[in-house]
Amino acid sequence: MRHILLLAALVVAYAGVPLLFGGTPYILGLIVAALTIAGIAVAWALLGNLGGMVSFGHAAFFGVGSYGSAVLSMKLGVPVFPAVLLGGLAAALASVAMLPALRLRGPYFALAILAYAHIFQILATEMTPITGGAGGLLSIPRFPVLFGLDLGGKTGGYVIILTIVLLSALAYDAVRRSAWGLALKAMHDTEVATRVVGVPSTHLKAAMLALSAFITGVVGAFNAHFISFLEPDYAFSSTWTVLPIAAAIFGGYRTVWGPVLGALAIYLLDQLLFKPILPHGHQMVLGVLLCAMILLSPGGLLPALRRRSTGERHAHA
Amino acid sequence: MIELTLQALFSGLLAGGYYATVAVGLALVFGTMRIINLAHGELVLLSAYIAYAAESRYGLNPVMAIPLALLVVGTVSMIVYALLSRIRQDREINSLILTFGIGIIMTNGILTIWAADIHSTTNPWFQDSLVIADTLFAMNAEIVAFVGGLALMAAVYWWLNHSWQGRAVRALSSNRNAATLMGVNPRQTEILSFLIAALLATFAGVAIYTGKTVFPALGHVLTVKAFIITVLAGMGSIHGVLIGAVMIGIIESLTVTYLSASLQELAGMLLFLVVLFVSPSGLFGGRRALAR
Amino acid sequence: MLTLDGVQVNFGGVQALKNASFAVAEGESVGLVGPNGAGKTTLFNVISGVIRPTGGRLTFRGQSLLGLPDWKRARLGIGRSFQIPRPLGHCTVRENLIVAQRFGAGINDPKRIDEILDLLGLRDKADADATGALALTEHKALEVGKALATNPSLLLLDEVLAGLETNSKRAFMERLGAVRDRYRLALVIIEHDLPTIAALCPRVLVLNFGQIIADGAPDAVFRNPEVIRSYTGETTL
Repeated sequence: MRHILLLAALVVAYAGVPLLFGGTPYILGLIVAALTIAGIAVAWALLGNLGGMVSFGHAAFFGVGSYGSAVLSMKLGVPVFPAVLLGGLAAALASVAMLPALRLRGPYFALAILAYAHIFQILATEMTPITGGAGGLLSIPRFPVLFGLDLGGKTGGYVIILTIVLLSALAYDAVRRSAWGLALKAMHDTEVATRVVGVPSTHLKAAMLALSAFITGVVGAFNAHFISFLEPDYAFSSTWTVLPIAAAIFGGYRTVWGPVLGALAIYLLDQLLFKPILPHGHQMVLGVLLCAMILLSPGGLLPALRRRSTGERHAHA
Repeated sequence: MIELTLQALFSGLLAGGYYATVAVGLALVFGTMRIINLAHGELVLLSAYIAYAAESRYGLNPVMAIPLALLVVGTVSMIVYALLSRIRQDREINSLILTFGIGIIMTNGILTIWAADIHSTTNPWFQDSLVIADTLFAMNAEIVAFVGGLALMAAVYWWLNHSWQGRAVRALSSNRNAATLMGVNPRQTEILSFLIAALLATFAGVAIYTGKTVFPALGHVLTVKAFIITVLAGMGSIHGVLIGAVMIGIIESLTVTYLSASLQELAGMLLFLVVLFVSPSGLFGGRRALAR
Repeated sequence: MLTLDGVQVNFGGVQALKNASFAVAEGESVGLVGPNGAGKTTLFNVISGVIRPTGGRLTFRGQSLLGLPDWKRARLGIGRSFQIPRPLGHCTVRENLIVAQRFGAGINDPKRIDEILDLLGLRDKADADATGALALTEHKALEVGKALATNPSLLLLDEVLAGLETNSKRAFMERLGAVRDRYRLALVIIEHDLPTIAALCPRVLVLNFGQIIADGAPDAVFRNPEVIRSYTGETTL
């Protein structure tokens, strides 16, 4: 039964949505953007839930991934798909520069990562020969035609980002269920106790940071080739931090699918409902949702719904 | 060359005064509640916009807007406190996210009411320049802000060290359990620290409006800067905050003078990271006590 | 297998350990006694790598331990318990052992985990939340279990018997003996109750003010006047 439902969901996601909205590129574009946020939200949740770290700087990974991939494909002629993966790798490499931050706790870590995001943004603006500086990069290569499907179009982009998000969520789930996941959640409260049974806690946290950065970088790279244009203020915009956090918190960052559902709900609500009402300050509603969620149901929407349907208490991680 | 450097140092010192008034409030609240209020910069911004509204709509001198701004900022910060104290589980993470959300609400609220334009005072007296020792230039507003801010911080310093409530704030900051055992009422003391932070934020907001320019995204910038300064200071010594603020101010103004204005933020950020990694307890040690 | 040579630990001017030197042979059981604050737990922290010594040498099976992080020492075969139980949070009892086994021993052997659960009488609680829902004896057993799951050859037990009432203490002691013999472990155990020590360990080390003041068979050590003096008013002799 479960398998049939899953299969049906996949068919709807891969075939139903493009068929339904193929004729309304505006809506399909919104869904692609929502899934882009979802990808970052999954990466953010992985770091927050398993690594125990709140990041206010995921825009850094997003930006590095998008510039990495765009520059590789434009200046070195790397084909787009490998370039996207290399973009993710570049973001993971950037996270190596942040390793010293792993010693920091709570707000210190959160704001150190934010400082990195600012620094990367400034560097991207200043490194004009490579990044095009504040002027940006134009006509970044789009995704190619594969098996008769134009991946460069809206529908193609949708299929790609959907796949990226699904794979990321599966990776999150796999880590969470592994002995690594157990050790990581045990580490939050009892780091010394986990270390003396052989858990290299700092290495594990570093691995989560790198994985989270990789996923975010790949999503950023996707976005660069999808919209075919980049500038530092856009690629490192705090939007890539704020929206995923709101999405992950809203959906439930300690669950795998919460961030994805949260991103779809928040982004589509924001664009279709709040933006027409409040053209300038529509993100205010995101702030309200964020606060309401933290106060009323800190676990997020998904666990709250599940609790309602089963009467069960939500479990940590 | 020397004149340029001296002017840069002087401007940096004055900028440090602004930064310090913002940062001391953040540090006080961190002391009593162990919470970084990520909406602190937005409180400053709110005060600045109230001064703007008073001036543009009723032609009031921005300084006259302080009582009203104090009332509004104080009320908002009490709401922030009330919301924060409702958090039960995962306090560290959830309080960060909650205040982050409040910051988003406030920034966008300001954006909705006053739009994204850049504003500064239209009162010419504030912008008139003052020449000190024939070489150093400053605007009247900067001098007023610096002197006023210093006086305000001195008052807070005195209050922390000499009044019962101030001592309660310090006691709660250095050892929460011991302080409550000795009869310090934690709620009252936390509220007090929030109100003092609101007072400082109100002053800083009006000062920034008269001496610099304000725009909705500034709140976030101020919060980050205040946090950086607090880290430099080592979380919780007032003169540490003062020195940290002046350091940031000077480094920024030297960067702007000799390198490029676009690198202004970079210098502070890099210093922040270096200090964080080399000496996480700050340049001036004491993570423990406030003021000493 | 374990050798300490002139190990020193200073905490901001206070010497918690002065010049501690001794060796533990393969399969040997050593009781570690001494008044509160004598430095017993500090000694364990130094051996397991939780704190760094300020001086001296430490070797385990010929390899220097200095500079090795705590988790690597666990993988070398040094298992330890904490005086105040520190179960791994958000995990069941079995998951505690799984984490210890995967990371500490680098193997995945559910049979051995079942065996440890049986030996320590934790089989019934295998799926209980490790942070709540456990009695004191079970918490102490889990402390031993986590260390055992890392496949140690040396087990450092910090007051795992303290606070237990006489009957459960005797039962637990028998379990420890069985565990030690089953896995042919070397054992260093901190314990205040001298008869218990005497029953479990043919050799006793006495620590006072960070110094080893006696080392030998229990009978001889407990008659040593210096030991008695250090203990006066501390415990029954």
